Amino acid sequence: MVGRKENGSLAVSTLFEIVRPSYLLFPALLGTMIMGLVCPLIGSYLVLRRTVFLGLTLPQIAAAGVSFTFWLQQSGFLPQWEQSERGMGMFGSLLFTFLGMGILGYLEQRGKGFPEGRLAAAYAFAGGLTILFIVFNPAGQVEVLNLLKGEVIALSKGELRLVTGVFGFVFIAVLMFRREFLLTSFDRDLAFLLKGSQVIWDVLLYLLAGLIIAFGVILAGPLLIFGFLVLPALAARPLVSRMSSFLMLSSVLGVIMAFLGFYSSVRLDLPLGPTDVTLGCCLIFLAYGLSRVPTKMGAALLMLIFVGGAVTSCATRTAPAPVPTVKDIKKEQVWLAKVKNSTALPLLLPANNPLRSLAEMAGKISSDYRQSVMDLLRDDLRKGLEQNGYSVTLPEEMDARFPPFPADMNGAVRMAREGKLSGLVFVSEIWRWEGESQKFVRVLIDFKLIRINDGTVLWERRIQRAVPTPSATNSGQASTDAATAIVHDLFTG
Amino acid sequence: MKLEQDIDEIQRARGRVSKDETLPLVSLRDVSLGYDSQPVLQGVNLAISLGDLIGAAGPNGSGKTTLFRAILGLLPILGGSLSRHCALSEFGYVPQSAALDPHFPLSVREIVEMGAYGRVRSYQFLPSEEKERTSRVLEQVGMGHLITKSFFACSGGQKQRILIARALMVKPKIMILDEPLSGVDEATRHSITDLLINLTREKGLAVFFSSHDLEMVQKVADKILRVDKGKSWLEERKMGL
Repeated sequence: MVGRKENGSLAVSTLFEIVRPSYLLFPALLGTMIMGLVCPLIGSYLVLRRTVFLGLTLPQIAAAGVSFTFWLQQSGFLPQWEQSERGMGMFGSLLFTFLGMGILGYLEQRGKGFPEGRLAAAYAFAGGLTILFIVFNPAGQVEVLNLLKGEVIALSKGELRLVTGVFGFVFIAVLMFRREFLLTSFDRDLAFLLKGSQVIWDVLLYLLAGLIIAFGVILAGPLLIFGFLVLPALAARPLVSRMSSFLMLSSVLGVIMAFLGFYSSVRLDLPLGPTDVTLGCCLIFLAYGLSRVPTKMGAALLMLIFVGGAVTSCATRTAPAPVPTVKDIKKEQVWLAKVKNSTALPLLLPANNPLRSLAEMAGKISSDYRQSVMDLLRDDLRKGLEQNGYSVTLPEEMDARFPPFPADMNGAVRMAREGKLSGLVFVSEIWRWEGESQKFVRVLIDFKLIRINDGTVLWERRIQRAVPTPSATNSGQASTDAATAIVHDLFTG
Repeated sequence: MKLEQDIDEIQRARGRVSKDETLPLVSLRDVSLGYDSQPVLQGVNLAISLGDLIGAAGPNGSGKTTLFRAILGLLPILGGSLSRHCALSEFGYVPQSAALDPHFPLSVREIVEMGAYGRVRSYQFLPSEEKERTSRVLEQVGMGHLITKSFFACSGGQKQRILIARALMVKPKIMILDEPLSGVDEATRHSITDLLINLTREKGLAVFFSSHDLEMVQKVADKILRVDKGKSWLEERKMGL
């Protein structure tokens, strides 16, 4: 688990763990913070120009571009791009974003309809297209949906360099042209007199917005990018009365939102986009509350207390207890029940799983049999228990009809008693097991060690997190690595 | 004062170009103005030279702002001829403060500094002399004490004076003020009209302002451009007012 000390002491710091460059998710954290720093700078101008809806519509158009490109590719109209799925998505995202901006700009020039109406129609159209392209995709929907979710948690070092380059360029451009952007946004007549045509500055601002949206959508998802664009700026607005402070505070709040959101996401196993956006909305409520504080100093102090409190509450946690020792359970017999799958998915490993082939060759399984995640986990649990000195027996060795036991104590005890088992039963129930980009497996599993005679739960543990599988090259290997890591967690505490 | 030196410098430079001195800064001959080929104002004849204090008087919607926008190059004319003998960046434009979006978080300093944006390159920080000039023009309009205050927290009269300071920051030859006297109390009106008179009499700038209050324009301006029902005509200031 993140930040756990090996000795399993109660209070441990997880906060410092994630800011270490050697931390597996460090590129993702850094990438999110870079986006949190830069997006609000562009978003500030969108908010002030009252074109916030553009920040919602463009990411949706970019998402339509991603699903369109994958549909074309899977239908054979585009060559397979083996190197990077995200690279392919970026191409579609960029293409659609700039195409969409061009069309919206043209309609703006023509002056047909009213701006909000155009943006609303474009948003609805892009949303519809996104879903239709996903439905048309013969390769299935899950993969494209995962890409559209923009799991920034899987950001690689190469992608981090790309984020740094693109967002760094936008950051410098916004700082360099801040006066022109302000003037054209605030007083277009004066901008014309002093700087000539305002159109060039409008185009530049929207190009920069398009750039971060097109890249951000594929890397972080439409929701997170919209959140980063708009929410920090909305939170900063009531607290400042100067433009320079507004831009600075928006960026600072964006970074805070990114950091706390990322931490909460990893720690509580929550999806990053919704977590960050919810946090951003909390910041807005907080900012409007603080704006009633008579002095800015007081407001700033309260804001610091809030952020400090949030960080501190993130920083400590109670380490879970490991599986009891053999001495603790007085060498009682342990029945290791089959792992119950309570997900809606079969959780079967791919047919080309190398472990399966070895078992097949050894004649241990039939060619029709496909190993499952439950099998992997149970095998690892058995090894772990035996290595720790437990006397482990499988219920089906006594009666082959034994089904998997539920993690519910009453249900497990009832089944054990009906099967005439005595001693202890070790039950496991999987509620969630989702592989993401072969780099992580998101899991939610309950484990319990129950005394059958009196129904006492001697030990229990819930594991709910994204388990990193950095060396996996396919989904089967990712599941294998994740099962090993989870069982290791159980025994080390 | 540095501001006065700047204005003197402009005047001396103008003096060296003797040919230009004889030409008005802006001249309109039989100009027609309007939107989408629909004329709002026709037959406008006007010449604005250095030291002129001209007021455009007419009811709301008579085309005063349209005339200003055409002079500033923001609106193409429909007919006639309009010539300028100074750069657009030498126009000090004071819009109606109500036309500015109060949603923007801007301090008085940031508003006035906008007047220097035409002289500062994108990658430059604002030079210290421009910062000093910001303080000076604010002092000149009597608003130096508000420099750190939020612009939109100021009163109507204060906003007008601050926008005049912004226009002066441009180092203008000609000031165009759209309804500078509307929405302000009597005392503020007088202080603003004194300021306009001072800019023409002592600084030698050309000032062209508009108001729907004919009586006030007659009291202040040397020439009055009457605008009404799509027509315009020029009147001299009545003696004794």
